[in-house]
Amino acid sequence: MLIENMAMAFHAIRANKLRSFLTMLGIIIGIGSVIAIVSIGDTMRTMFTDLYKDIGITQAYVSYGYWNDDWRQSDYFTLDELELIREAFGDEIAYIDSNASVSTEVHAGRMSMNFQFQGITERYMDVQPVNVIYGRYLNEGDLLGRRKNVVMSAESAEMLYGTENAVGRTFRTTIYGYTDEYTVIGVYKKEMSPFQRLMMGGSSDTGEAYIPETILTWPNDTFYYCHVFAADSADMTDFMNRLKAYIAKIKDRNPQDYYSNTAVEEMGSVDSVMGALSAAVGGIAAISLVVGGIGIMNIMLVSVTERTREIGIRKALGARTRDVLIQFLTESAILSACGGVIGVTLAVTLVTVLGMALSLSVVIRPAVIVLAVSFSAVVGLFFGIYPASKAAKADPIDALRYE
Amino acid sequence: MFDQWRKKENEDSVLRPECEDLIRLDNLVKIYDTGAVQVTGLDHINLTVRRGEFVAIMGHSGSGKSTLMNIMGCLDRPTEGHYFLDGIDTAELSSDALSAVRNRKIGFVFQSFNLISRTSALKNVELPMTYARIPRQKRADRAMELLELVGLKERAEHMPNELSGGQRQRVAIARALANQPPLILADEPTGNLDTAASVEIMEMFSEIHKLGSTVVVVTHEENIAAFTDRIVRFSDGRIVSDEKNPNPAEGSGRIHAGKLYAPREESEREEEEGC
Repeated sequence: MLIENMAMAFHAIRANKLRSFLTMLGIIIGIGSVIAIVSIGDTMRTMFTDLYKDIGITQAYVSYGYWNDDWRQSDYFTLDELELIREAFGDEIAYIDSNASVSTEVHAGRMSMNFQFQGITERYMDVQPVNVIYGRYLNEGDLLGRRKNVVMSAESAEMLYGTENAVGRTFRTTIYGYTDEYTVIGVYKKEMSPFQRLMMGGSSDTGEAYIPETILTWPNDTFYYCHVFAADSADMTDFMNRLKAYIAKIKDRNPQDYYSNTAVEEMGSVDSVMGALSAAVGGIAAISLVVGGIGIMNIMLVSVTERTREIGIRKALGARTRDVLIQFLTESAILSACGGVIGVTLAVTLVTVLGMALSLSVVIRPAVIVLAVSFSAVVGLFFGIYPASKAAKADPIDALRYE
Repeated sequence: MFDQWRKKENEDSVLRPECEDLIRLDNLVKIYDTGAVQVTGLDHINLTVRRGEFVAIMGHSGSGKSTLMNIMGCLDRPTEGHYFLDGIDTAELSSDALSAVRNRKIGFVFQSFNLISRTSALKNVELPMTYARIPRQKRADRAMELLELVGLKERAEHMPNELSGGQRQRVAIARALANQPPLILADEPTGNLDTAASVEIMEMFSEIHKLGSTVVVVTHEENIAAFTDRIVRFSDGRIVSDEKNPNPAEGSGRIHAGKLYAPREESEREEEEGC
């Protein structure tokens, strides 16, 4: 009987193609926009997650709290202290540095351009692997000897020297008021997604290079941040608490005086903001589903009135109240579910095409699709109840007499 | 097969044995209460139709024949009195039970055909069987057989609006026979047809009757009533005459309804014995 009802429903929907389509439109738009918005939201979240994975999910910063009034000179970190921390935590810390960086203008021959120098140690390679295509990476000797060597990105080398193979080339720049000549000892390439490139900023006309952090911490070897990569992201909270406690101990401060910021936390907050945003927009889109449902109810009421005679015939021939009720409920549910299927198809097409245009890998969760189509059927069922019960209650004699 | 769908129907408890008196009206009164005025549609009617009779119910409009037709068709209930259809007191039945009674006991033929529009002749004939929960294939086969017998096999996939009046009424007759009901109830079946088609339809009823079915035709035309073998005349909600028609008009014999109304086979009948 269910198959009969579905066949009858499809028959009735086909009999009035234009009207059925217009009726579905509300559901098509509703389901379509919900799916599109949720998919866009999911895609963004995935991209942010990937981005955080790229920049290191175990990355964290600690500094003396900006809210404290009694700042002392000793609140700055020193390289010796970093060494102490590294020894105290052993294998738990994958990498530690001063987070020193400087932005300055460099000159090579007649060429001048802005550069961003990031101060690192030779072990930075372990946590942020790059592909050294020419020359070598920074080594311990460069760090300890404060050698004026840099490892430059391939794009920057291309811009500054007109060639990627810039090993051995030199440039002049001024760091902390001291103008010196620096040598390119290596050129690296880093794979980045277009989205990551976008999010990392770094306008294409600014060069990038790694420089021994000892050059940037010099002359007094003090700095504001302690920048670490934990070996394991499993329990960042506990790790951070112990790290701050240890720092507080060696600095003779309270652990709560220290400010810290971890990639995991940041990712979590980005994720929850994005989640809330897409839920809110999706919720607004869902209102159109209700409007679509009312459209279905409206047209079903018209249909029931138009088909009063048919209902009378069916009842005369033996249809029970329940049979008529189920017939019309099935019809409105199928009408709505068809709208849902069309809406999903449109949304998936739209999002996929959009993703291809922006060369992003789009995330469309099958669960969302199943949920959306089921929900549209439920909307149809719900808004079909009143028209269907009206049809089912029709008195066969009155219905047969209806012209 | 039949046993299966019988069991499924809980209303079937009312579809009891076949009785000698297919229809028995017992002091039947129908009063239409329009609020201010009470109109008497039927005034203490007593009428019995035996199994196998071919009865015409005649009367002018307003005589109460349509009211009677509605009650006999289990579409309406009497205000007072009882209507026994095949031994079932319909006054006591719920509306769903009445649906089941209409489905199994009555085959309707209406003046305005009442086929479902935009639905093929075949699907129209299948409809009563759908509500009797007969399996799809069996239903389609039987519907096709019935259409063949009324001479419309080639029109099986046609929509009602693609058929002539006479053809539509033949589809309606095929539909009325679908569940092999004991009673065929026709309400002005020729009212919308020309003379030739009217004769054709009445011949068909004659054939159906000859095969043992009980046929009740409501009409106001003498020449239509002439096909039946008993004529009951109504006026002002009362029976004014009830007489035999000694020489019913004969069909031309063109229509061989041999298999048209095959009475139920013995095996199916068994469980319905006893009254």
